[in-house]
Amino acid sequence: MLITNEVPDGAGHEDPGHPERPDRLIAVREGLEDLALGDELVTVGLRSATRLELLRVHQGAYLDELGAFCYEGGGDIDEDTYATYDSWPLAQLAAGAGLAVVDELARRGDGVGFVAVRPPGHHALPDRAMGFCLLNNVAVTAAALRSAGERVLVLDWDVHHGNGTQSIFWNDPDVLYVSCHQWPLFPGSGVPSEIGGLAALDRIVNLPLPAGATGDVVARAFEEVAGPVIDEFAPTWVLVSAGFDGHRDDPMADFALSSGDFAHLATWAAGLAPAPGRLAVFLEGGYDLAALRHSVRATLSAVLGDPSANEAPTNGGPGSDQIGRTLRERASTLTLVTAQRDAEEAS
Amino acid sequence: MSIYPRTIAVGFDGSPDAVSACAWAMATGRRLEAHLVLVHARGLLDRFDRRDPRALFGDVVSELATRHAFNEARLSWHVADGDACSVLLRCAEAPVFADLVVVGSRGRDEHAGMLIGSTSLQLAERSAIPVVIVPSTTSEYHEP
Ligand SMILES: [Zn+2]
Repeated sequence: MLITNEVPDGAGHEDPGHPERPDRLIAVREGLEDLALGDELVTVGLRSATRLELLRVHQGAYLDELGAFCYEGGGDIDEDTYATYDSWPLAQLAAGAGLAVVDELARRGDGVGFVAVRPPGHHALPDRAMGFCLLNNVAVTAAALRSAGERVLVLDWDVHHGNGTQSIFWNDPDVLYVSCHQWPLFPGSGVPSEIGGLAALDRIVNLPLPAGATGDVVARAFEEVAGPVIDEFAPTWVLVSAGFDGHRDDPMADFALSSGDFAHLATWAAGLAPAPGRLAVFLEGGYDLAALRHSVRATLSAVLGDPSANEAPTNGGPGSDQIGRTLRERASTLTLVTAQRDAEEAS
Repeated sequence: MSIYPRTIAVGFDGSPDAVSACAWAMATGRRLEAHLVLVHARGLLDRFDRRDPRALFGDVVSELATRHAFNEARLSWHVADGDACSVLLRCAEAPVFADLVVVGSRGRDEHAGMLIGSTSLQLAERSAIPVVIVPSTTSEYHEP
């Protein structure tokens, strides 16, 4: 059973010529319809995230400022990111959708969640909009679960590093953030030595890979480097920041993934959930409409246990050697920082 | 080791404040015989639109160099993916190895008085090397 939010197209949050556009959600809805789920599709109503729910991850001054900026008509926030008059209410709905979907999953104790929203969220910082993102949707839901005593894994396969999510949970031992992304690439963060703050060492796992990386290498990075950390963390919930801009047809970056690769990753992610009703997939990036539609379909078919994709998985791309370097860099940073922390505590 | 900077990084996004900062850095760099590295942070849309800052801003920079008698042989570009603040923070390290970073007070699309988009303030707060913020009171720095 798939539990999703009502999928509006987010019309009103749009800027002529900008790739983060309402058509993206239409493509996502088509991908969902391709699955023909019938009674197995449950749609929950939209609701806005409350101020208190947003304050778990964003600073009040930023929320006030963003709201006022939109109310005055909006404009460009930075060279990539825009907001309009309608962006503030739409962003609050996007941030609330994950909360509604997770509530329904918890109530049923069954099914898989799919949070289809825009603007995306994983670049949004506590005090700043960035990289097309205004509010950090996945972080709002992760923080709500965490405050209810859950241990939350956030798995991010968007081609860009989710610097906002990393920053929000940097020092939080109850949230494990794992990201595989192209590097170097915007936003510039996400190197293996970023492993979390002193209170949450080893709760950040960054898996940078070079341009051209194929599905086999991405899957190996997740399984070989992050797998043991995830096992030890033992999450009670799994949230996926599912960006599809790593698809080979996407104009925003240079990974060489196919829809079949996303199906493979989704099968792996589904296996990490400790029980039924503990997995939710959040839309992040993805800017080629056909690739987005097919990748959403492939991902959802896989999390529902019956993977099917219009494209075969890919292999043979570069980046295998990077996986070993990532393991070594993480291990040496952990040793170094742990020694520093112990020395400080002793003195 | 000289206490004067040998390599000056200048944040350059083509905005009027960046031009002002670049002019200040050229005037100062000439006197110190320093190298100047024009640093451009490539954002999501820069990449999407395949914009090359060297092609976009090359003429502006050449004109500035002429006006401030700065030898263009001592000038280079560093284009890196990322947001302006994180790219400028990394200028202290390889491959730029800057020992001074110069920015305008407001970048492209940054709004006066807003928390969102205040690269220069964040940079000044977090930089490991000295930061010069060239004010926007004049549209371009003029040598005294
Ligand atoms: Zn992305």
